[in-house]
Amino acid sequence: MNFHRLLSSAFLVTWLAASLRLSGPVLLAALGETFTERSGVLNVGIEGTILLGALASFLTAYVTGMVWISLLAAMLTGIVFNLLLAWMYVTVRASQVVVGLVFNVLALGIAATVYRRALGESAGPQNVAMFAPMHIRWLSDLPLIGPALFGQTILLYLTLGLVLLAQFILFRTSFGLALRSAGENPGAADAAGVSVARMRYIGVLIGGATAGMAGAYLVLAQIGLFRESIVAGQGFIALGIVIFGRWNPLKAALAALVFGACDALQLSLQLGGASIPPQLLAALPYLVTILAISGLFGKAIQPAALMLPYSKD
Amino acid sequence: MSLIERRVAPADSKLAILTSMSLAVVAALLVTSLLFAFYGANPLQAYIALFHEPFATLRGFGYTLVRTAPLTLIALGTIVSWRSGFGYLGFEGCFVLGAAASTWLGLFTGLSPWVFFPLVLLLSFTAGAFWAGVVALIRARFGGNEVLISLMTNYVAILIVQYLVSGPMRAPGGVPETSLLPRATWLPFVLPGTRAHAGILLAIFATVVVWVMLRKTALGYELIVSGLSPSAARYGGINVGHRLVFAAFCAGGLGALAGTVEVLGEQHRLMDGISGGVGFTGIIVALLARLNPMAVIPAAVLYGGMTVGANAMQRRAGIPSSITFILQSLIVLMVLASEIFRHYRVKLT
Repeated sequence: MNFHRLLSSAFLVTWLAASLRLSGPVLLAALGETFTERSGVLNVGIEGTILLGALASFLTAYVTGMVWISLLAAMLTGIVFNLLLAWMYVTVRASQVVVGLVFNVLALGIAATVYRRALGESAGPQNVAMFAPMHIRWLSDLPLIGPALFGQTILLYLTLGLVLLAQFILFRTSFGLALRSAGENPGAADAAGVSVARMRYIGVLIGGATAGMAGAYLVLAQIGLFRESIVAGQGFIALGIVIFGRWNPLKAALAALVFGACDALQLSLQLGGASIPPQLLAALPYLVTILAISGLFGKAIQPAALMLPYSKD
Repeated sequence: MSLIERRVAPADSKLAILTSMSLAVVAALLVTSLLFAFYGANPLQAYIALFHEPFATLRGFGYTLVRTAPLTLIALGTIVSWRSGFGYLGFEGCFVLGAAASTWLGLFTGLSPWVFFPLVLLLSFTAGAFWAGVVALIRARFGGNEVLISLMTNYVAILIVQYLVSGPMRAPGGVPETSLLPRATWLPFVLPGTRAHAGILLAIFATVVVWVMLRKTALGYELIVSGLSPSAARYGGINVGHRLVFAAFCAGGLGALAGTVEVLGEQHRLMDGISGGVGFTGIIVALLARLNPMAVIPAAVLYGGMTVGANAMQRRAGIPSSITFILQSLIVLMVLASEIFRHYRVKLT
């Protein structure tokens, strides 16, 4: 492949469009996780919640064929399972990394078992209804940026709207202040009358809702079917995006776009017949995430009470 | 008056701990029996099927030992790194890289067994130690989060091995895998009439070494102090960064040896997906053993046996073997959750 083709406008258009599309799920998951971590909880179990959200949306879409109901089902699934996680993190005060890690294995077991039960052992991959890309008159016909910015699915626009909403709630409302105080200085928050436990429960549940939606995004707007390996570390990448985005929704959106651009680049290089082996290209997003959180780009200052269980007595 | 009241301090007698742990295991078994019922199987019979093959038949017990060896090695790696304050989670990656390095040495060098076995252990350990060492270096040098970085490295390692088995090391044929290793490079079988191989001896040996290192040597003491309180360790003159990298070397090396044992003892070739989640199950085994090296082998035998039993159950009763993931993780989650009940007492008066 030569560089002229790489820089051709057709390539740029597909690349830009794919970058935005692929950054959607990790951004959604990272938005909720920003709330979770701002409240003082690191949810390593996010990978498992995304997987269960993907399964719930797949099964709902398989039965009903309705995408919005499927999205809602994924959200509810994420909230229910994160309620369990929140209980372990906040009430039991168990080690957060341990609980999250073990939860991921549990989620994999549940997903594999339920999927096989629902579809039978021999059934091949089943496709379900998906969100269609929008076509906005005039705007999506613009050269270069038109198809990329205005030809996406509604889920992506919803996600971008949530970025602004998250930024507003976190930094412009008293709830956001209370949530952040639970993660920065729980003792002081408690003394000021904020219930640290309630804030952390809410933080983990918001994370569950968006992680479930991220799973639905993978099924309903990207792949159209379910497999056990559908998440493939994107939950962990979302954790990396939260760090690289410095626990700030707007910056997380930029970080997610960088990830999406890498993922889209490796995909289009593969399709373009690059001489680099496809498996090594596929490692690119993970390598970029490692680099982003390695501390080479300045020290990330995390919420002071992150991963520290809080007890009143 | 409420029946349950909160204790000032959690009940911490041996009896209280044992009771709460046993209740937790029973709770996990009960939840899983609901799943068996969901599949239309009698839960009692399902549990008998799950535990009969791995523990009551010689052939099955051989397979249990085959599964125990890599789980033990990974659990030991978890213990060394976690107790030193290095939250390493990259064992899945070390496992496949160790397996790949061992396969390469076995397929392409044709060494005599006397040279091959010491060399393969050394090569594999070094590969894993290097892989985990890089993460420790990033943490010690730049302060990056080792938990997340090590999780990412798993995917990179798995993709590297995917590339090796579909490209440079691929055997002719339809499946992306290497050719069969020559007989001379296989680990000897140790229990007549079974598939149990010398990997289990290596696992026992490693257990003793790790126990002695952590409990009886100055180095082990320094590692544990670095883990408990880095600032106190630094004040005491311990170079915490060096200890961190050393702990990572041990963890990565042990994880890679688990891959060596799997390839040379059981699979006898390298293929994509060879790890099958063992890197995480090994961590769970270490947690079940409460990060105590001496408790690792019983925990690994139990979890290894469950995997064997689940495969038998899938063949006979059509219950998917993925149910063991649920049972294995639920046991640990319930044990963790049971801690909270030691904070309460029942008031009967």
